[in-house]
Amino acid sequence: MPPTAQPADSAEATGRDGARASPETVLARLEGVGVTIRRTPILRDLSLRLHAGEAVGVLGANGSGKTTLLHVLATLVVPCAGRAEVLGHEVASGSGTPARPRIALVGHQPALYPQLSLGENLRFVAQLSGRDAGKADRALAAVGLAGAAHRRAESCSQGMARRAELARVLMVEPTMLLLDEIHAGLDRDATGLVDEVVARVRGRGGVCVLVSHEPDRLAGLADRLVRIIDGHAVRAGVGQGSEAAR
Amino acid sequence: MTVAAGPAPDARVTPLTQCLLLAGKDLRLERRTGEALLVTAPFGAVALLLVPLSVGVDTPLLRQLGPAMYWLVVLLFGVLVTLRTSAVDSAAQLAMLRLAGVSARVRLAGRALGNGLLLLGFELLLAPVAVLLYNPDLTGWAWQVPVFVLVAAGLAVLGALADALAAGLAGRTTLGPLLVAPVAVPLLLGATGVLTAARYGRPPWPWLVLVLTVDLVAALLAAWCARYLEELT
Amino acid sequence: MTGSDVTTAGGTAGDRAVFGRRLPLVTGAAIAAGLFAALLSPPDAVQGELVRLMYVHVPTAWVAYLSYAVTLVTSIGWLWRRSPGLDRLAAASAEVGVFFTGLTIVLGSVWGRPTWGVWWTWDARLVTTALLFFIYLGYLALRRAVPEPALRARRSAVFGVVAFAQVPLVHFSVLWWRTLHQPPTVLRPGDPTIDHTMLATLVLSVVAFTLLYALLVRARARLAEAQDALETADLVRPGAVAGAAVTAPQKEGSCG
Repeated sequence: MPPTAQPADSAEATGRDGARASPETVLARLEGVGVTIRRTPILRDLSLRLHAGEAVGVLGANGSGKTTLLHVLATLVVPCAGRAEVLGHEVASGSGTPARPRIALVGHQPALYPQLSLGENLRFVAQLSGRDAGKADRALAAVGLAGAAHRRAESCSQGMARRAELARVLMVEPTMLLLDEIHAGLDRDATGLVDEVVARVRGRGGVCVLVSHEPDRLAGLADRLVRIIDGHAVRAGVGQGSEAAR
Repeated sequence: MTVAAGPAPDARVTPLTQCLLLAGKDLRLERRTGEALLVTAPFGAVALLLVPLSVGVDTPLLRQLGPAMYWLVVLLFGVLVTLRTSAVDSAAQLAMLRLAGVSARVRLAGRALGNGLLLLGFELLLAPVAVLLYNPDLTGWAWQVPVFVLVAAGLAVLGALADALAAGLAGRTTLGPLLVAPVAVPLLLGATGVLTAARYGRPPWPWLVLVLTVDLVAALLAAWCARYLEELT
Repeated sequence: MTGSDVTTAGGTAGDRAVFGRRLPLVTGAAIAAGLFAALLSPPDAVQGELVRLMYVHVPTAWVAYLSYAVTLVTSIGWLWRRSPGLDRLAAASAEVGVFFTGLTIVLGSVWGRPTWGVWWTWDARLVTTALLFFIYLGYLALRRAVPEPALRARRSAVFGVVAFAQVPLVHFSVLWWRTLHQPPTVLRPGDPTIDHTMLATLVLSVVAFTLLYALLVRARARLAEAQDALETADLVRPGAVAGAAVTAPQKEGSCG
């Protein structure tokens, strides 16, 4: 039998209308969300609340729906059941767009155009979303890729591509940061970079959601852990992320 | 109305700017890969060379066939230009574009604009080859200038639509041409019609109006259906 | 997997659930009547016995166009209501349409050879019909290529509308192209005047073929429905949630 779904917290949203986010502010609220892909129910009656300034780790077996959960939070997948509200906007077909520029997603695969240089890739995103192109170069420098800005993405290692993705996060300065198996292919230095990026987003009152199938990695970074079992989100424990952030 | 005010983008980006940026990116990718102009265009030129070899060296016949063969090659191989591999957006790239605030309609428009410019280049590369090999009657050639632009535009939009419909499918490059070619017939008839009309001293503008109508209808259809191609579930 | 495993919404499994009970009888009677009338109708003054091909050729052409119109309407309907039934109907109608278009072209060719002396002529109607055949072959190819049902429904609905919207332009351009190339007027099928008996027979044949179309589309849509139900049943077995078979890591404990 599937365990009963429990919303991970019960605090109500307070600071609307662009008020400075307090830890009580709910940035995302999923209520009874269901997602079915290729006739397979991936998420079922999933409820979850994400608060300002927290980092939430999502655990689950392969194919349990962790990535789909991130896509719902990124407003890229519209739930077929339940309600999803992200950054004050309902996730429904054709909507969700206003929240998108404040969301950053780093997925399994790098979102880089292989034939463009790292600098061109980042400047492209900057210009598309109305940011100063100079931010792209500064972000690359911040992740230690200043010297590789002219290098084509196709000739970069997986670790470099991941760093470039983190540079994109720094450039976008998201309110909601979604990281999917971010530690895969990263060296020790870059792992520190992930910690820093997460701390920055949290420090600004944003929320980070980290997906991994390695509990050890998440426990050190996340305030609380949520496991997806049978399509539901279940509270899975408390991490040390809050101490680490201090 | 948002829950927490995040750092807003520095400036509001208009859909037109986004469209131009997307097309610019496509052209840059083409410059690096050379798929349309260095692979597909030579392939088209080979086709123009093979036709006389299969028809026979009947110079008056080839002179008559030349323009028709040219436009046939542009239509069939032009679809391949619109379905080039560098026009495939990976799921991660697509997610990035959507999060950057690029709507489905703008994405389709950007792809169509990129396609259109590449197709124009493709037409201009093949035109001298056709003239050289077939030595066609060039009476009223000036009428071909708007035809080049209008056919490239129509094919670009239809190709972008087919590309969106066949995105991520196994048989993308074989399915795409089958979806485009039968509905692109008015473009072929319009392009060759202008030439024939010019040669016989008739006004070619009705054919231009036909091609323009096809372009407009295709653009309207693309604008209408873009949102249906957007959603993931 | 036997036929009895598949139970459709209609109730019992088997041929009866797919084809229904009354419609096959009515269709059979109409086709028999049509055939009878076609054999009894007078031969044409010019074409002689060959005119009897008209009683098959014209209805198949009518059914082909009807199919595509139904596909268009159901495609728009799907985009509006997102009902899986409409998608199945669109697909079934397109399949039947492609079959009847092919049949129309072949029968037209068989009729054209003795009357016009050629298997094929560049008549605008013929060219448009052939293009329709390929457009909807593309539609069916697109459907086959998309494995995910919702994605398949959406993409084919969009193509169903986009393709049909281009058809008038295609037909108009071909018509115009023909006038430019001066079509031989001898090769125009059909007389302006038609004998009353022949007209009645033709109407009867059209009715019979329309019933046949309805029967085939309904059966095909029901088969698709049963197939969908079967695939869903395979996927939605108890506990068949993605990843459920894999044991989750237990380190943090305190689940629930």
